[in-house]
Amino acid sequence: MATTGIDTRAPAHKLSPRRLLNRTALYLTIAIVSFITVFPVYWMMISTFQPSKYIMHFPPPLLPQELSFYQFAELFTEHPVARWLRNSFLIAAMTMLLCMALSVLGAYALSSLRWPGRNLFGLFLLVTQMLPEILILIPLYIIYRRLNMLNSIPSLALIDAAFILPICIWILKGVFDTVPPEVLDASVVDGCTELAALWRIVLPLSAPGLSAVAVVAFFFAWNEYLYAGIMLSSGEFMPASVGLSTLKAIAQTPVEQYMAAGLVFSVLPVAFYLAMQRYIVSGLTAGAVKG
Amino acid sequence: MSERVDANVLSERTSQRELKPRPRLRRYLLPFSLVLPIILYEGLLIVYPIAQGIYGSFTRIELASKNPPLWVGWANYERMFSDPAFWKVIRTTLLFTGLVIVVALTIGLLTALLFNRPFRFRPLARGMLMMPWAIPEVPVVMIFIWMLSPQFGVVNILARMLPGVTQNPQWLQVPELAMGWMVLISSWKAFPFYSLVILAALQAIPQELYEAARVDGASRLQLFWNVTFPGIGSTLELLVVLAAIFSFKQFTIIFLMTGGGPSGTTETIVIRIFNTAFRFYDYSYATALGVAGFVVSLAVAFVFILMQARRAQESA
Repeated sequence: MATTGIDTRAPAHKLSPRRLLNRTALYLTIAIVSFITVFPVYWMMISTFQPSKYIMHFPPPLLPQELSFYQFAELFTEHPVARWLRNSFLIAAMTMLLCMALSVLGAYALSSLRWPGRNLFGLFLLVTQMLPEILILIPLYIIYRRLNMLNSIPSLALIDAAFILPICIWILKGVFDTVPPEVLDASVVDGCTELAALWRIVLPLSAPGLSAVAVVAFFFAWNEYLYAGIMLSSGEFMPASVGLSTLKAIAQTPVEQYMAAGLVFSVLPVAFYLAMQRYIVSGLTAGAVKG
Repeated sequence: MSERVDANVLSERTSQRELKPRPRLRRYLLPFSLVLPIILYEGLLIVYPIAQGIYGSFTRIELASKNPPLWVGWANYERMFSDPAFWKVIRTTLLFTGLVIVVALTIGLLTALLFNRPFRFRPLARGMLMMPWAIPEVPVVMIFIWMLSPQFGVVNILARMLPGVTQNPQWLQVPELAMGWMVLISSWKAFPFYSLVILAALQAIPQELYEAARVDGASRLQLFWNVTFPGIGSTLELLVVLAAIFSFKQFTIIFLMTGGGPSGTTETIVIRIFNTAFRFYDYSYATALGVAGFVVSLAVAFVFILMQARRAQESA
């Protein structure tokens, strides 16, 4: 397939044997690399959509033999997946709203205003973003326990937002930086205050950045496992990341249901992360590298 | 909202006429009032718990009792430094972190170089390459638990092709294999991110440099060493530190796949902290381990910041 792709593209007279060999090698390498990279995801889909008599067999067939869809219905009736997903959605939505509100303030102060302490504030954000979550888990668990804040969805959203907020601020700062300073200066000369300039000029120009922040915050909380597992130990509030990890493949949950659960959980984050990847990467490297 | 804005504008104008310093003060205070909620918020949920953790590491914490924790001085730290298990955890952490940095960055660099070349379907191929990065960690764990199943796991097909392998290996029960898989899975999850960042750096290298070097008769290898490598060098340095931070933090994959086993061979410090606190309920010792981890990550973060400051100076 790779070689026919070249034939149609390059006119025949340009293809010296050496060039053809080079192109073939390039396409072959790319095909192999892409295959290895995507294979685990492919295998998840294969294992989801095939009846288990094919996959519970060694060696398993590498291509799908038969498609079926009953496993989704079974998954939702045999496990409280719907409730898990609802809990995840609530935590993620609260985290998202908190982060959007706070990151607008921080990003504006970091991007458009000049003030003493600006660098120190940036440094503070950078360091908080780099600390392993587990270091804060134990003291925070003890504090939460004392305040009776365990087993509550809003309490967990508070923590998730604290962890992802620095990255959200970096992402949004990068976007605010692209608003030409002349536009801001002009608005201030026209008698606009800085806050009004933020509301009327910077924010409307930064819609994609805001949606990137929304995606990052939402799916950080959606994917988060460590804090969710400790802080929401009762089954009632269990989010999907924790719920999924309680499923045991083969022994307790049929493989096609097990993999269907993973698939259902991954569809949204994969779609949104891929759509927003440039912004997210620039935020994760704290603007050091333009993604 | 608009009324308040108008009022602000008005007050500014009148005060300019009266030469009062108030709006200046307000303008001066604006950034601080913007970041104050953030500092309070992060302070309460990140900084305060860290301070509590440092304090707690000098005490004996009894969760059930109402009494204030008992001050024990350096006892937790003395125990930590004389505990052979602690040094084993440090070695495991260094091994895991070091291997993931090398493996993930090497794959990231090679794929970036590969995908920097023009070819058909490049956008599609790049999108596919980002897949491992976009998929959440819990499903990643589920996929690999299934792929590595000794009974039906698809990975066994490859293993059985090797000479002398007649049985499906117990992938996560053999220490070396378990560590190898932890490194491979973590690298698989992480490399697309590094690849994307390196790709951006590659595309920032001016094409004229390559053309000039080619005119001078440089070979492919010379082009790489003298044009490409210097062009992405500082990005690579930065990524090494970033990869160290990210892999040091890695919890979910190891915790859910091996829990630190077999017999502690994949137990990095973050796993050890979790097990100490939530399996053995030894909160004081776990906080002392946490402080040790905190010192290490602070040091690495400091290196990252220094490197960034240097970059900023270079580009200015």
